Order: sequence, then C-alpha cells, then structure tokens
Amino acid sequence: MTASLELAERALAAVRAGDGAQATVVGERSLMLRFARSQPTQATAVDDTSVEISVLRDGHVAGASTNGGTGDELAACAREAERAAEAAARHGEPGAYPGFPEPAGSRAHAGHDPETALLDPAAGGAALRQVFDAAASRGVDGHGIWTAGEVTTAIASTAGMLAIDRVTDAGLRVTCVAPGGRSGHAASTATATGAIDAAAVAARAASRASVRGEPKRLGSGDYAVVLECYAVAELLEQLGRLALNGLAYAEDRSAVSGRLGTQVAAPSVNLADSPRYARSLPRAFDAEGVPKRPMPLIQDGVAHAVVHDTRSGALAGVRSTGHALEPAGAPYGPRPTNMVLAAGGAADEAELCRPIERGVYVTRLWYTNPVRPKETLITGVTRDGTLLIEDGEVVAPLEDLRFTDTVLGVLERTQALTAQPTLVGDHGFYGRRFATGVVCPGLRASSMHFTGAVP
Amino acid sequence: MDGAASHADYADARFVDSIAERIATRNGRVEEVARSRSAGVGVRVRLGGAWGFAATRDGDRRSVERALDRALELARAQPAAPDARLVPEPPARGSFESPTGIDPFAVPVADKLDVLAAADDAMRGDPRLKVTSAHFLAFRDERLFASTEGALCEQRTSQCGGGIVAVASDDLESQIRSYPASFRGDVAQSGYEHFAGLDLAGNAPRVAEEAVRLLDAPSCPAERTTLILDGEQLALQLHESVGHAVELDRVLGSETSYAGGSFLSPADLDSLRYGSPLMNVTADATLDGGLGTFAWDDEGVPGRCVPIVREGMLRGFLSSRESAGTIGLDRSHGCMRADGFARQPLVRMTNVNLEPGDAGSLDELIAATERGVYMETNRSWSIDSRRLHFQFATELAYEIVDGRRGRLLKNPTYAGVTPRFWASLDAVCSAGEWRLWPILNCGKGEPGQTARVSHGTAPARFRDVQVGIA
Repeated sequence: MTASLELAERALAAVRAGDGAQATVVGERSLMLRFARSQPTQATAVDDTSVEISVLRDGHVAGASTNGGTGDELAACAREAERAAEAAARHGEPGAYPGFPEPAGSRAHAGHDPETALLDPAAGGAALRQVFDAAASRGVDGHGIWTAGEVTTAIASTAGMLAIDRVTDAGLRVTCVAPGGRSGHAASTATATGAIDAAAVAARAASRASVRGEPKRLGSGDYAVVLECYAVAELLEQLGRLALNGLAYAEDRSAVSGRLGTQVAAPSVNLADSPRYARSLPRAFDAEGVPKRPMPLIQDGVAHAVVHDTRSGALAGVRSTGHALEPAGAPYGPRPTNMVLAAGGAADEAELCRPIERGVYVTRLWYTNPVRPKETLITGVTRDGTLLIEDGEVVAPLEDLRFTDTVLGVLERTQALTAQPTLVGDHGFYGRRFATGVVCPGLRASSMHFTGAVP
Repeated sequence: MDGAASHADYADARFVDSIAERIATRNGRVEEVARSRSAGVGVRVRLGGAWGFAATRDGDRRSVERALDRALELARAQPAAPDARLVPEPPARGSFESPTGIDPFAVPVADKLDVLAAADDAMRGDPRLKVTSAHFLAFRDERLFASTEGALCEQRTSQCGGGIVAVASDDLESQIRSYPASFRGDVAQSGYEHFAGLDLAGNAPRVAEEAVRLLDAPSCPAERTTLILDGEQLALQLHESVGHAVELDRVLGSETSYAGGSFLSPADLDSLRYGSPLMNVTADATLDGGLGTFAWDDEGVPGRCVPIVREGMLRGFLSSRESAGTIGLDRSHGCMRADGFARQPLVRMTNVNLEPGDAGSLDELIAATERGVYMETNRSWSIDSRRLHFQFATELAYEIVDGRRGRLLKNPTYAGVTPRFWASLDAVCSAGEWRLWPILNCGKGEPGQTARVSHGTAPARFRDVQVGIA
C-alpha cells in the first residue's frame, strides 16, 4: 500500500511547472474467469498500475498518464502534462477549474477483504465447478463470470492531499440456458469472495430458465410490471447518468434541471448515494480525493440533489459532493456510484405479483440506451427470465420484450418494493477496474410501456 | 516462448505500446488535453483446452516469465474443458506500418486547439445552445507478436480524427447535432491530414443551426413507410445487426454471459437468406484507412478480405483459430483483436462493409422515392441479445414528399427485425457515395474491451419500415 503512496509522491515531485498538480496512482490486481455452456472459456489476470499526472495552469487542467514507474517515465509524463496545460492556458480565456481540493479527511471503511486480495484462482475454479454442477443437476447450461479484484488508489497533490484507499470486490454472474433456449439470470456481488454462494446463484438462475410452458407472446402496450433488483439497478444507473449528473444539471440537460424540490417519483421512492451502507462497495474518496459521504438524492419522491465534482460544482456554484470519476472531472461529468434505493414492505417478488391481474415479470434489462436524455426516456429489452403474471402469479414464460419508457415515469408509478435489497454490481470494467453497484429491492410499478415482443 | 513451449500446448505473447491523445473544447473553453501511454506484455497459454492469460507492464524476462506462470496457474485452476483444435496457420513473420502522412503526435497541441476553438466559436451564439464541443483524437499502437509456433511479427498503426457537437435545450427537451459523425466524430487509420481535412469550422454554423431548429421541428410521425438511411447511420445498422451477429464466438454461445448470442447458427452458412439480393457485405482487414486494418490479427493470422453476405445469402463468419476449428473450417478469418496488452484477444469486427450499389447519388435516390423519411446521424441504439430486434434513433430526419426533402423532423426512431429489415433493402447508392465510417466504442468481453472498427457504406433505401416509435 505504501508503495502506491510513494509512487504518487514521486510523480507529483516530477512536476516542475504550473499552478498546481495532482498525481493519481491506481493499481489493479484482478482475476476474471469466464465460462459458457458449463465450460471455462477465458481466464484473465490483470496486474497493472497507472499513474496520471494532472497539471493546473490558469484555470485549465491537462493531464498525461503512463503505466511506467521509473524516474524517467514519470518525468516524461510530467513534461507531457505541463506542455498540455501550458498550451491550454495560452489558448483563449482562463479556465474555470477552481483548483485541486484541499484534504478533508476521509473515513475508514470495511471495503477491503484480505482473503479476496490473495486472488487465488483455485477459489474461482471451485466456484465454476459449483455452478456447473448446479446447472447440470437442473438440466441447463451455465454461462457467466467469476471475478475478484483489489484496487489501490493513491492521490498526492500540491493542495496538500495525500490519501490512499484500498478496496476489494468480488462477483459471480450466471445465466442458465435450458435446452429449448429459455434463459434465466442471477448474480451476486460483494467485497469478499467468501460472501458469494455459487451454488445458490446458479440455482436461482436455473429456476428462471425452467418456468414451464411454451413462451407466450405479448403485444405492445402498457403493462403492470414486477422488476427484479437487476432490472431496477439498470434503471437507476441510467437515472444516475442522465438526471443526477451535476454537469448535465448545470448545463440544463438533466431531467431535474429546474426541478429540485419537486415531486419526480412516487412517495415510496427514497434514493441516496450511500458509500458507507453495509451492503455497498465502499470507497473513501473520489478521483480528486474528496471524501465520499452519504447524500440523499430523492426523498419521498422529491428530487433533492444531484452529484458534483469540482468542475461541475464550479459551474453550478456549489462545492464538490465527492463524485469525480477522473481528476478534475470526467468530460461526461460526475455520477453516483453507491446508490441505495430504500426497501419496502413486500416479503418478496411473489408478494409484489399478487395484485396484478395481467402483467410482466422482468428479471433483467439489456442494452438500455437513452432516446431522449432530458426526459430520461430510454429503450432496451428484457432478457433472461421474462415471465407472464396472471391473477397474481407467474404462470408462463414470455418472449422477451422491448420497452421504451422514462425512468422517472416508472419511479412515479412505483407502488411497492420488496423488503430485502440486493447489491447489483457492474463488472463491465472497460479500461481500469472500478467496481460500482446499486443496492436496491425489487419493485412493482402500475405500468411500463412495452413496444413489442423480441422474436 | 521457448520457456512456454515446454509447459503449454500453445502460447503466445504480445508486447503492446499504446499512446492516445484527446483534446476537446467545450462552450468556448479548453475542456480536455490529455495524453496517455500504456505498455506491457500479455501472455496467453492453452493447456488441455483451457486458456489462461496474464499481463505485466514490465518487459524484462523475469516479469514476463512470472506472467507466464500466472497464466499457467489460471489455466490449471479451471475445470477441464474439451481440447478443441486450433486450425493451422503458418507462423506470422514480418512487419507492417500503416500509412501516416503527418504524425498526429508531432503536431503541436496549440495548432490542434486553434482548429477546435475556431469550430467551437463558429457554433456559439444562440442562447438555446447549452453545449458546443469540438474534439480531436489520435491513437498509435505498436505491437510485437510471438508464439510457440514460431511467429514473430511487428506492426505499427496510427489513427486520427475528430468532430463537433452542438446541444440545444429548452424546458422540455434537448436536441443534438454532430459532424462528421456522432460519438466523437470521424476517425480513420491515417495521420493528422485526416483531421485537418474535416473542415470542422466550415460545418459548425450548420450544425448549430440544425440543433436549434430541431427544438421546434415536428416529431417524426409513427407510421410504416419507406426509409432512407445516410451512410453514417447505415454503418451503425450494419455494425449492430450484421457485424455482431456473424461473430462466430457469439454464434457458438461463448459470449452469452455478457454480449449475448446470435440468431445465426453454423448450419446457416450458405443457406440462410440474410437480406435482399442487393445486400453484399464484406469483412476486409486490408482496406486503406480502416480502423480494422492490419497485417496480422492478434493471433498472428494475416488480415483478409472475407465475404460475409453475397446477394443476400450468408457466406461467412468472423472467426478465430479456435472457433473456426469448432465448425470445421480450414482457416481462421483473422478476426482476433485485443485492446491493449492487458486484455486477451476476442473475435472482433475488422472493416465490415456494405458494398455500393447502382442507385446513384443520395439526391438521385431521394428523387426516385415518392414518399418516405430520410434519417441522418446516429443518436441512440438498442438491439436484443441475439441481434434480431432493434430500435435506433437518429439526430434528425427529413420527410420525403414527391422525391424531395420536405419538413425537418425531430426525434426520429425506427425499429425492425434484422432479416426482415435487410430483406426490404431495395436500393444502395453508388460508389461515389461510398465511404468508411468509424465506430469508436465497440464494447465486448469480460473484462471489457473497446475496439475501433470501420464500416464502408453508401446511403440505402428500405421499404415498409416502422418509424416514429417514441
């Protein structure tokens, strides 16, 4: 751990010019074992460290990064960053970046598990065997990933920041496919591999693939829905990007621009960014070293706040809320990474189904994309466990459906939530590993707009 | 590789040194100036049917040997897997460098900012414009590949380009216009000359004006009608509904967990009608300027030109040595590509192109269309996991009335089912309208990887398409 801090200090020391600088060191060690048709396919081990040097000059921040750590490599990186910042400063008006944040002291958290950090591939191999056995016993194939990782982040800046954080994350994602092609999905995410019950995850996925009957076809229309936590998490992730993004808010592109303090969802909807929540994936600070703190976003259905980094905050005239994704702010803005949707009183999804005369049970949403971002209008398809609800019960599988609806509309029409929230992780990890997740229950909404069956 | 040969059935190693530069302005200010460099060695091993991969940023022998050991450890830790054969391939030998006129990394940042700032300035003025942005991108990869079969080859490719964006917003909605393409613009395998030739400032006033006009334009009506797609949107259509569907690893179910599968099966080769007889699709890794152009893929297989669809019939897949062997092909199609040194190769698109037709220019095609909608520039995309049911949106559309462009329409969307959609293709513009378009953010794999690919298209017409979904 101290090696990362030492590297950050050396990188910062390599900077010789500018009005300020920040050095960010991110070290990733991870394993990812993939499988398909109940056979291993690819296994990847990553062990890499990146150093990013950001230099401030006349309100502009420019940067350079390297994965080298020698004196020469750090010096070359620093020179690149300085040249870039100087070029930006000489061009046009002064920039709006107010300066790198001063240290504010972040709290310790329980987001690191030493056992997981060992990254023992035998643990992954054992998990795969459990999945394959569970799938075979139910006559289905297993597809998915087992993954574990440790990420160390160290920040040193000329504003006096000297901070380090170490986190682990683990995940198992299983899609079971039955001989006729029906599929079901389940997943588990935690800070520790020991918390993942591979057999249970596979059993749940297999149960979704094994609902009896030929898939029925549902026409376009508005239907009452029960959404499992995976589908709810997907909607909330889109909400975070489109509406709760402080840059979008400041630029009048957000659905809540001009609507903070107004009702945007059902009164039962309480959404917060809660980095210390027990079931979340905690981290101590954001990409600028600003401490992560709990923050209400929607309270009793009323839009309360959006998240900011230093740059979007400066644009909006507020302080950073600790949501920077890159030093000096990502071009696409900040977003919440530890969302928690408060649970309700329904025992489980079966109880959510009971008032529904005819509706759709959705396990998972796939390939969602904004259609009209300012309205949170998105489209996507259901996947891996789409079922017909009739007279209060799941009665048959359904062909997958395309939906086109607004996220805030679904939240406005939310009637009930289950009592047990689940951490739904995102293990996409394009580029560096940055584990995030949404803790959420299942929900029932009075309607969701489906625009057709997927053949 | 000598050490690996005694421990593994097969092994390869790739040294990759990648640099990238991103420069952007936003609302008249410099927003981003960043250069990144990442270098290291990725070692891939095959042991009794299982693959293992590990990477190291240190290029010394000891570090690479440790990566080899880690890769072997991974392969051994997994449950047993069938030992599918890798189709033979002569060991790759030689070197390749993509043509680069002006080194984009040698051009001063100040010069690039001059171009971007001029374009950004030329868009601003109307208070309804909330965001004006201009951006520059450059990439360079140097790759060295070696294998236990005796391959040793090196390649150097450079890519460069950029674009502009204007976002207008009112109380209810926001509208966006981009040039020359959406999502970070037009990038080609070339030098700085490609970026310089885009004429961003010249197109900026039009882009800004269109974004504002869209706020007050009528919405695209919901109807079934004739649809003409511009080349850029058609590139996205091709990418999502053909390119991904013919990736053989998806067809075989290896990507079910994340990217999904395909509606195709190996038995469909040479028997499935994918589209109308005007549909001719080729995957060509030898095309000048293509983002998917190389001498050898990341398994050391030479880049090739592969027919995918001929006169509407499925004739080929995108494959690897392993997937090709699984379905009994003699050779891989050379489509294995990896993002940097710390990811292992996957079956990826190269340059997947819809060959031009004989319908003349875009204006001539519109003139030959009595009634319909012309859609331009991708805004949104969504397709199901088997690449069948899609719904796409573009930034703008024009109604076509009596062979002429009529009203500007906002929020245009269209949907379809892949083989039915391509069966409705009844005209493709001629070679004069054909060009390569980039897709810069094709995501696949776990851990995730991004690939840059190109698609050659000319505008084309489709009949009886559902438009105006949302």
